[in-house]
Amino acid sequence: MRRAGWVALAAVLLLFPLSFNNPYYEQLGSLVLLAAISASAWNLIGGFAGQVSVGNAVFFGAGAYMPLLFYKLWQVSPLLGFPAGIAVSLVIAVVIGIPTLRLSGHYFSMATIAVAELIRIVVSNWDFLGAAIGLTGPATPRGWWDLVFRSSNPYYYMFLAVLVTLLAITYAIQRSRFGYDLRASRGGERAARSLVVPVSSYTLYAFMLSATFTSLAGSLYVVKFGFIDPGSGFGILVSINMVLIAALGGAGRLFGPLLGAAILIPLQTETNNLFGGGGTGLTYILYGGIIVLIARFEPGGLFEMWDRLRAKWGSHAA
Amino acid sequence: MLLRAEDVQMDFGGFRALSGASLDIAQGEIIGLIGPNGAGKSTFFNCLVGDLTPSGGRVLLNEHDVTRATPEAHARLGIGRSFQVPATFEDLTILENVMVGAFLRHARVREARAQAQRVLELTGLDALADHKAKSLGTPGRKRLEIARVLATEPKLMLLDEALAGLTPVEVQQAIELVRRIHRSGITLVIVEHVMEVILTLAERVVVFNQGKVIARGTPAEVVNDEAVIDAYLGHSHARRHGKHA
Amino acid sequence: MILLQVIVAGLLIGAVYALFSSGLTLVWGMMNVINFAHGEFVMLGMYVAFWAFTLAHFGVASFSAAAAVVLFMLGVLVYLALIRHVMRGPMLAQILSTFGLLLVLRYAAFWAFGANFVSLPDGILGPSLNVGGILLSAPKLVAGVVALAVTIGMHLLLTRTMLGSRILAVAEDRNAAMLMGIRPDRMQAIAWGLSGASAGIAGALIATFFPISATVGESLGLIAFVVVTFGGFGSVPGAMIAGLIIGLIESLSAYYVGPVYQDVFVYALFVLVLWIRPRGLMGKA
Repeated sequence: MRRAGWVALAAVLLLFPLSFNNPYYEQLGSLVLLAAISASAWNLIGGFAGQVSVGNAVFFGAGAYMPLLFYKLWQVSPLLGFPAGIAVSLVIAVVIGIPTLRLSGHYFSMATIAVAELIRIVVSNWDFLGAAIGLTGPATPRGWWDLVFRSSNPYYYMFLAVLVTLLAITYAIQRSRFGYDLRASRGGERAARSLVVPVSSYTLYAFMLSATFTSLAGSLYVVKFGFIDPGSGFGILVSINMVLIAALGGAGRLFGPLLGAAILIPLQTETNNLFGGGGTGLTYILYGGIIVLIARFEPGGLFEMWDRLRAKWGSHAA
Repeated sequence: MLLRAEDVQMDFGGFRALSGASLDIAQGEIIGLIGPNGAGKSTFFNCLVGDLTPSGGRVLLNEHDVTRATPEAHARLGIGRSFQVPATFEDLTILENVMVGAFLRHARVREARAQAQRVLELTGLDALADHKAKSLGTPGRKRLEIARVLATEPKLMLLDEALAGLTPVEVQQAIELVRRIHRSGITLVIVEHVMEVILTLAERVVVFNQGKVIARGTPAEVVNDEAVIDAYLGHSHARRHGKHA
Repeated sequence: MILLQVIVAGLLIGAVYALFSSGLTLVWGMMNVINFAHGEFVMLGMYVAFWAFTLAHFGVASFSAAAAVVLFMLGVLVYLALIRHVMRGPMLAQILSTFGLLLVLRYAAFWAFGANFVSLPDGILGPSLNVGGILLSAPKLVAGVVALAVTIGMHLLLTRTMLGSRILAVAEDRNAAMLMGIRPDRMQAIAWGLSGASAGIAGALIATFFPISATVGESLGLIAFVVVTFGGFGSVPGAMIAGLIIGLIESLSAYYVGPVYQDVFVYALFVLVLWIRPRGLMGKA
């Protein structure tokens, strides 16, 4: 039964883009995967370690800007900018994480949003980074290493590979001492310390790993779309998307973010058509409403809801 | 001596919560710390486990000074503690909760799991191993906390009001558990403000009132002590009201 | 002389920051909840003032009072409908709840009032004054002085009145307060009301000299975070001093570096404070 589920999931993910000869769905598939990557990366710190970052866009933005900056400066493949984005993200994660992860969780949340906003303002006004207009990548590919493809499918499989890697790492962490201790430190710091769980250093490692993959998500975004501006790199809505998607599916659950992305991204494209994009703000009212409802009634997200319902039905059957 | 506290004092701002408490704990004892609410016994307890750094005095473990050691260092050295309000990891299963304790002496997941399972059997929680901690009631949480500490393989366990808030039947079960732990060779210090229970368990009792040790001795000696009777009668009224909290 | 003018202007706006931040720190210190939508509360206070002026021709005093009342009620409502249910839950639920509220309030205002800035008429509080060579805008002067007075009033309310000591008793020890016959739920609702009212008055005061828009709460909310962290967990006097300092830093960096970067310096200060003095100026250890 369990194995059948895995095979089915793998089949859907692998065959999805081949089942449609329709650019809309091909595009949708890669958007879902991209959102699932950044939300899964958020899940490492927000879900497993229980430290709620509301500024993970800062890593996404760093990952998005670096490849195009490298291209702009030296006309090299955007690929070479990937590690640079990760390096910048790690520095930022350490600067935010070291002082705040020793304190109660609110400091961390406030610091993430403040730093993301700080960097957004700086980038928006810095001509070196294209200021408000942003940066553009190679328009026509000089070789495969420019990662410019006409079809969505190569991106789809690239994103899928990264997502699978991230989920495999998350799975390994979940089953390791690190994972148990991480989840314990979320439950109660004082109790965790009394059992010699190194709470603040473990949460810092989780934050750094989260920063790494969020940065990678930004880099992948930018090779697919070929341009980046301050709003789509560092904007508060980029952070909100990650939190919302992970929390909707189930924060702290391996497949929570993927489920959240599979629901929210198609919904997002629909509401954008319906409400005419972000222009009127209706989409964000809807998002805010969903976030409030999750927080109030089901902080464990859909996975937790499903578990509870199943337990209820199970006990009725017995 | 396994643990020795010498003239431990604690001031909070201008308020002296504990003035000069001393205690020697020998290997294999069960010692009760009792006294009304606010008597200083919890402050003393927190100084012994490293949650508070005393303003004066020393705490020695096997003749090594641990007065200024962190809670982590205490746990490493074999001093385990429970919390007055059980601090279980809500989203982890009962087995996983205990594994977090077991990791202290067993780095590998498989060994930690085996150790945790042994402890769950000892504490009678094995049937619930895969349930989330948040599904437990207060008695279950207290039991789980004790199990989690046991998994760290302590020499000395300090229990902070492990019996408070339990029904008479649950108290009996908890006493059984404490005896079993004691038989396995662990030294115990138990803090309670309900006197009756401690008298049946402890070999020696130290009574606190208003930040001072007012009596010490066997349970029989202590119950007949004038100062103890005064302290308890004086506080029994307030305690009855405290129950509603 | 111009420098002196910059300094005075910074302190005046700082007093307004102190006012709405004191509301945020009150709730934080009392129940360890951070309201991410606090900047949106200020924004709503601005709109209440604007509409009370435009539709009912309220004067400054009455539209400030109206903003205080409306936001007091909103604060109580948010507590009763939302915060009460999530404050003991996981950190994620706590933070998501007010974060979601932020989105709802900001974009509901955006949807209802549009993307365009509106503002109260320039001369609403009279012309600028020339005090010993320093040019002071009347609205900023009034806003600064009133905000300082209200913040001090809030501090006195908390430290010198029966209501205040009840609120602080709940903050100190919920169970002990209950034993004294205090109802924590009611006190916490009132604290949220006061927090909202402080944001409402501050918003009304800001509206007299600053253009009103749905997204204005974004930077104001972040400034409140910086002020409460700098001032120290739960400390109203701390928030007051920190507010004045932040206003000053903002004003000086706008003057020397450029207005675009004024917030950058404030946010950078925030990170610096977390590194070197996380408990803030007057916070508990």
